[in-house]
Amino acid sequence: MGTGPPVKTSEEKAKRKLSLPFLAPVHSLLAGWVGLTLWLLLLLLLALYPYTGVSSVALFVGSQIFVLVTLASNWNLIGGMTGYVDFGHAVFFGIGAYIMGILVTGSPLLISPEWGFWQALPASGVAAALFALLIGLPTLRLKGPYFSIAMLGTLVAMREIARVLRPFTGGGVGLNLPPLLNRLGDYYLMLAVMGLVVSIIWWIQRSQFGQSLIAIREDEIGAEMRGINTTLHKIVAFMIAAFFTGIVGGFWAWQNTYIDPDVVFVEARTVEMVMMSMLGGLGTVWGPPLGAVVIYFLQDLLWGSLFGVHLVALGVLLVVIVLFMPEGILGTLGDRSSTSLGRLLSRVGRSK
Amino acid sequence: MDQLLQALVSGLLLGGFYAVMVLGFSVIWGVMGVINLAHGEFLMIGAYMAWGLFRLFGMDPFASLVLILPLMFLVGYLLQIVLINRIVERPHLMTLLVTFGVSIALANLFKILFDADPRNVAVAYNGSVQLAGVTFPIVKTIIFGAALVIMVCLHLFLQRSRLGKSIRAAAQNKTAARIVGVDINRVYAITAGICIALTAAAGAMLSPTQAIFPFMGPPFTLKAVTITALGGLGRIPGALMGGMVLGITEIFVSTYVAGIGTNLGVATSFVLLVLILIVRPQGIMGGLRPIDAEAE
Repeated sequence: MGTGPPVKTSEEKAKRKLSLPFLAPVHSLLAGWVGLTLWLLLLLLLALYPYTGVSSVALFVGSQIFVLVTLASNWNLIGGMTGYVDFGHAVFFGIGAYIMGILVTGSPLLISPEWGFWQALPASGVAAALFALLIGLPTLRLKGPYFSIAMLGTLVAMREIARVLRPFTGGGVGLNLPPLLNRLGDYYLMLAVMGLVVSIIWWIQRSQFGQSLIAIREDEIGAEMRGINTTLHKIVAFMIAAFFTGIVGGFWAWQNTYIDPDVVFVEARTVEMVMMSMLGGLGTVWGPPLGAVVIYFLQDLLWGSLFGVHLVALGVLLVVIVLFMPEGILGTLGDRSSTSLGRLLSRVGRSK
Repeated sequence: MDQLLQALVSGLLLGGFYAVMVLGFSVIWGVMGVINLAHGEFLMIGAYMAWGLFRLFGMDPFASLVLILPLMFLVGYLLQIVLINRIVERPHLMTLLVTFGVSIALANLFKILFDADPRNVAVAYNGSVQLAGVTFPIVKTIIFGAALVIMVCLHLFLQRSRLGKSIRAAAQNKTAARIVGVDINRVYAITAGICIALTAAAGAMLSPTQAIFPFMGPPFTLKAVTITALGGLGRIPGALMGGMVLGITEIFVSTYVAGIGTNLGVATSFVLLVLILIVRPQGIMGGLRPIDAEAE
């Protein structure tokens, strides 16, 4: 099954593709300490940015971008590095948001004094990570598309469940959080979370843990033969990704001051994460952040004014990228095999 | 006893609809190994078409199938030629991502075109008949009958006709089919056309029984995956059986689990799906190919 002329198509495609191999050394530099140094430098600059006397709108935009970068990097950890393409990652976002909402409003069934933001935020992350453990144990046993679909199912099912559990979640009516605006605080909080997440991903990629994840992606049975505890690795990666996604979800709920099942448990948010990672370069450290920034400004420039159009454009863009640029920006500009889809494509081309 | 009987009948009727709803999804998966995540969106399009024809011309949803079927065949045919045929032989991940993108784009496009307000198709015969203490909703019974007819037709088409045989040949062994002169791209396009048309038809038939809104698709996609996993890829008797199992399970959950109503359909099918995939990854009945073939 699946033989025939795929050899021709993928190799032709590889030849036609614009590729700048002389940039490859730059990539390997960026993957090392140079990359981290530049990243920390960028963080420092971003931390000084508010002192240049910017408006609160600019701060809001900043925190939005940090949110996107964090989400994309998180998704990339499980979807790009481990190779488990998660179509329901927004479920952790939603759980984080709901835990925040429930704890902060002291929703009916819970004991009153309501929790403050700073107590509730870690709780959002922990809840999401625990949920990842619970859901990952069965679903991470599934291979390829079945994992993707099972996670999509988790997302849709959680949306239903959030609607049904009215006493906790307010059902379809949703929850209103106290509106406490602090743009500067939001900015620094998300800057810190983003800095932490991307640094962790950088570290993971260099560590043995990260190499094991990549081994799982490339050949799971082979990795297991080599003595890698694949289940443990997958679960831990999944929980890390879920933890920070939950934190972002909790933060988002606080910033948005309103949540309901249709706002937080949406496929569109997953598509965003997939999209940004794909555009930048799946499975690389710096690809997803790059993709997130590009997507943000694309949205802002091209279709920000038309309500709802950006989601259509997002879907179309995903199709276009998969068809014409599956290796993403980093893969196209440099080493194709640095991104996981680039590797997958060249492998399929070779082996058949 | 009456409650049990009623639940069984409702489950069977729902299962009949699920069986016809899943056909398109199951055959596409079975024949070309593509998991069409935009399945629910095509169902949604069919429902909107039925609604539009009903609103504009007062056309009955079942009569409007005459228009919807050929139109959506064309849509599916073109979609396959323009998009899916380009990537059908590449890693699974790519078709998955592309159909996911298509589904998001379509759902949000329809949201822009028709708002998120739920629409209804209020047919005159939207009542129910009492028979031996059991309620038969008329529309759902008609859907059940139509589902059986469609399944028999599709089964005969795949088994008997020349085109159907080449579709099955392409599913079983693409290389061999090519060697004996089957034009794979054309067969794929026709398969996609038939499948999308059937899916839209299912949506049109569904329109009198349920509110129509742009984001109604994903639950159906998920249920389609579950049913296909239950019944095997591209198998029509399997689709019927899987549809029945899911329909009855869903109705039993909503009948006997208090205070929940029919709102846990997806959660139910999700639990079923994960159980099946873990316990019996090849599906319960087998099919055109093993369910985890080529899982890349």
